[in-house]
Amino acid sequence: MMDASTFVSVLTGGLVLGVLYSLMAFGLALVWTTLGIFNFAHGAFIVMGAYIAWQVGNPDGFGLGFWAGAIVAVLGMFVLGVVFQFLLIKPFERKPNIVLLTVITTLAGATILVNVINVIWGPRSKQISLPVSGDIAFGLFRISANEAVMVVVVAAALAGLGWFLLRSPLGRSMRAVAQNREAAQLMGLNVPLLYAATFGLAASLAGLAGVFIGSIRFMTPNLGDDPLQKALVVVILGGVARFTSPIYAAFLVGLIEAFATYYVGLYWTPAVLFILMIAVLVAKPEGLFGRRQRSV
Amino acid sequence: MRYDPPFHRTNGLWPTLILIALAAVAPFVISDSYTRHLLILAFMYAIVASSWDFSLGFGGLFNFAHGALFAVGLYTYALTTKFLAVSPWLALVLAGAAAIILAVAIALPVLRLDGIYVILVTIAVSQLLYQITVSQSDFTGGTSGVVSLPGLKIGKYPFIRDGKIGYYYTALALLVISTAFLYAITRSRLGRAAVALRDNKFFAIARGVSEARTRVLTLAASALFTGIAGGFYGSYVRVASPDVYGTGFLTTILSILLVGGAATLWGPIAAAFLITFLSELLVDLGPWREIIMGLIIILVVVFYPGGLWAFIQELREKVDGVRTGVTATYRRKRGKTAREAMMSGAKESYIRTLHGLTAISDSGGNLPALLLIHGNSACKEAFYKQYAALKDRFRLIAFDLPGHGVSSNADPETTYNAVAYAEVAESVLADRGVSQAYVFGWSLGGYVALELAARENVKILGLAIAGTSPLTVVPDDFADGYDASSHLILSGKQFFTAQESYDYASSATAPKSAESAFMHRNLPRTDGRARAYMMTKLAIVNWPRQMRRLWENAFPFAIVNGDNDPFLNHDYIRRLSSAEDWPHVLIEIEDGKHAPFFNKPDEFNKAIVSLFAGA
Amino acid sequence: MTALLDVIGLSGGYEPVQIFKDVTLSVERGACVGFFGPNGHGKTTLMKTLSGIIDPWAGRIVFEGEDLAAEGERKTRRSRNLNYDVLVRRRMDPKRVARAGLIHVAQGSTLFPDMTVAEILSIAPAPALAGGRESDEGSVLQLFPRLKERMHSKSRFLSGGERQMLSMACGLLAAPKLLILDEPTLGLSPKLRLELAGAVHTIRESGVPIILVDQDVEFLRDLVGTLNVFDHGSISRRLSQSDIPDHETLMAELFGRRVQ
Repeated sequence: MMDASTFVSVLTGGLVLGVLYSLMAFGLALVWTTLGIFNFAHGAFIVMGAYIAWQVGNPDGFGLGFWAGAIVAVLGMFVLGVVFQFLLIKPFERKPNIVLLTVITTLAGATILVNVINVIWGPRSKQISLPVSGDIAFGLFRISANEAVMVVVVAAALAGLGWFLLRSPLGRSMRAVAQNREAAQLMGLNVPLLYAATFGLAASLAGLAGVFIGSIRFMTPNLGDDPLQKALVVVILGGVARFTSPIYAAFLVGLIEAFATYYVGLYWTPAVLFILMIAVLVAKPEGLFGRRQRSV
Repeated sequence: MRYDPPFHRTNGLWPTLILIALAAVAPFVISDSYTRHLLILAFMYAIVASSWDFSLGFGGLFNFAHGALFAVGLYTYALTTKFLAVSPWLALVLAGAAAIILAVAIALPVLRLDGIYVILVTIAVSQLLYQITVSQSDFTGGTSGVVSLPGLKIGKYPFIRDGKIGYYYTALALLVISTAFLYAITRSRLGRAAVALRDNKFFAIARGVSEARTRVLTLAASALFTGIAGGFYGSYVRVASPDVYGTGFLTTILSILLVGGAATLWGPIAAAFLITFLSELLVDLGPWREIIMGLIIILVVVFYPGGLWAFIQELREKVDGVRTGVTATYRRKRGKTAREAMMSGAKESYIRTLHGLTAISDSGGNLPALLLIHGNSACKEAFYKQYAALKDRFRLIAFDLPGHGVSSNADPETTYNAVAYAEVAESVLADRGVSQAYVFGWSLGGYVALELAARENVKILGLAIAGTSPLTVVPDDFADGYDASSHLILSGKQFFTAQESYDYASSATAPKSAESAFMHRNLPRTDGRARAYMMTKLAIVNWPRQMRRLWENAFPFAIVNGDNDPFLNHDYIRRLSSAEDWPHVLIEIEDGKHAPFFNKPDEFNKAIVSLFAGA
Repeated sequence: MTALLDVIGLSGGYEPVQIFKDVTLSVERGACVGFFGPNGHGKTTLMKTLSGIIDPWAGRIVFEGEDLAAEGERKTRRSRNLNYDVLVRRRMDPKRVARAGLIHVAQGSTLFPDMTVAEILSIAPAPALAGGRESDEGSVLQLFPRLKERMHSKSRFLSGGERQMLSMACGLLAAPKLLILDEPTLGLSPKLRLELAGAVHTIRESGVPIILVDQDVEFLRDLVGTLNVFDHGSISRRLSQSDIPDHETLMAELFGRRVQ
């Protein structure tokens, strides 16, 4: 049995992980629902974002500070995402086997990105320096100031996105394109622009996730594999019916991971998650929080 | 029904035998063991990628645990030989069996899923297996793997000796057997069921295909040689490391599959060699190698998604186009006198239309014109008996359809269809200064004749068709109007083997004899695309309009069939002709074949003369 | 003064199969033109080509004197496997067509299943605004009062008839200068058919020019000035209102008799 303070610290750890995972999974889910494809380069996007932020922000790079790094990473990843979409996904828009073809192009794109990072920054591990230090405590809850910054930024980003998708005309248009491309075309929506913007937005979310991961872990060019897998687990568990479903699932996964690590150890935690994921896929493929939307 | 001859009757036989023979003698030429090593790897990749092609390309199941099937084969080999002291050869078999068991296990969660969901669940399965493998480090050695596995040997002879020659031939033999297995299975009931499920799931299920059973068997079939290849890999490199679960291995196999061409079987085999050696060329470039390989794969998939196999097919089509075109040019130059002699001295002339150069044979004279239109893969000389017998009664005009005889080849998309042929017929008549004519169309030419009549640009004095079923609703009526069990099925096939060429010419005209030999010689000249492209224009042919013209009784018309025509469903035509108000006659020539004017010229000529004379 | 819409020698289809050929059509200002034809003969493909969803192979689409399709025609594709989508520039832009005021209400469209009626109606006037036209939500909702009740339902919970109403409402909110209605009454109950047919009549009376595709000859006869009979990928006949025969006669004339 764990005592109260251990319980709270594991719980806190899980919630913090959940915040991070929701950021990673959101972009993946956005691309999946809108473009109907699975982006295997999402993990590489996360790493790329981390390295850009490091290069711009860190004293060993340009030394402009954490926040400048984060902003450049987010904007830079938006541009990279748009380029990726144009080169690797748009060519197959009218092909019936787009799902399969984009699997290989995004996998190849991810390989290229990872190796480009390797060429530019080398294989040695790096870490993004933190903007703040110290801990913040509320009773038994105790998190580092860093994690607090992350929670605040992510919450703001996701709330902003939620408002954007639900309320703004551009966001509504994005959802419309996601749900029915042809009807959106007939409504005079700028479909190519919306696709590019969606992919760019997803990439910049990945970039932001990279900034935070790079500040709490050591970065190597292959850093992205684990976040991609986690994002995948989250998206499957939650489903993509509503844009909030992956967020719920992210917290669920974060908590499961935190408690599983405590109880069954680090080695078995991924296995627990994958078993859970397979079980959900078999029993309720549309996800725990959703209705099946796309059968591509 | 799909035309599907056994392998030894297809055009693929000789290239395959030659390639196998080349691979078998290659070790005598290539002695350095590094090149042999690459070839062994390429054989192995070819086995794994083509096996995957069966489930992914043919079955449409995005099984991304295919790498895990290989890995399970590898670990089965490692664990059984190392801990149970099983003989390496038996371990190979066990590796295949283990992969099949895993495939069946994967099939269970996959049964209810489609598309991306299958990708996700199979990735999850393979990650799960990876985690299990790594966590059991007492047996599997964790991330560093099982090392110093026993290699293959016969008696005391280890296969690694003599520049790995034993492994080379084992890999080659495995590739040949695996390919034969996959080839057979794509043509079996299972293969067809898998393709049917991929193309139209609900229709296939409604027709009695069991989805669950087919998916399980499809995955099992693709697992068998993948697992064996995994075991073989273990015996060859003598290490079982968990890297093979990773995306690197999967990406390599997937790029081989897609660069080769999905659902082709042969494409991935060819691409395995290409990618293995290409990647080897770049080995000194470090990370740039991965970048360049990634770019190449993206370029191929973006610009040419059909891949290597489609390219080979297209190349073959181009070569065949050039061959038939050159043959036509050559014959146009050299055989003209002989052809004119054959056509009882009728002059051969040429006109150029939008549809290329068209050869016309016109017996001339101030007689009523009779236009003769030949059928699929034939030529105007098919009518030489009519030229001999009827030239005093009619001005006989025949022409070679584009892509046939000594007419030139033409743009397949615009020209190789019945509507364009009718346009050519109009140009021919205009060139000959004929504004009204009797028309006889044979087989495909029959549809050209019907279309010519329906277009109403030429005054039709009388019309006869042979070997043609008039149709109202296409393609529905097609199945009713013809006998699908005949060699008719070849009429849409692009490339013929010698046997097919003989079969088709024999059914369409007559078995080879002194008088029909020229038809058999002519057939290979026909542009194969003329047969293949017809289907893309079916929707814009107004079939009921052809039929309406016949019901209107605007001109004398008769169907003149051989009663022994192997292509036709005679019952369909008899039903049509016996309709109460069908205003036309059906003449059935006793013992006539698909070309009654050729088999039974006297009866046919008599029928035509009496039909058109009565008009 | 040119006609509102001039279609000249239009051909098209889905690669590599050609579906229709050489269609020439002219819609005058204020006119209502009908299309009738058997299923599967290319009516919907033609309409999708008019609205730019798929590219024409050849021909021109001139709307209010402006060419909607860029110059050029589909060249013979030398290779069957090259990805021409990346090599050939698209000739038509559906966004531009909609902004110009040629609005296509698709056949049996599911619209956006997870958006509410209000959300969908809020983005529907986009082409009107971009084209500088006024969009009048009040009169549209007056025409389809039922939508007012369903304002906050997601569109996937609407009935087939309501969904069709929503489709048409979206089309009207785009302030069409020419409205293409592709089988607006397809698959509806007789009662709903009547209701929607009534709405189409009202739209017609408000003076919006319409291209109406339907299988119901009686419905067409009441509305259209000319009826184009579309079969085998081309317009085989043009009938003026008074010459339109009943359904059986029309089908019999199209197909004659099949061999039994």
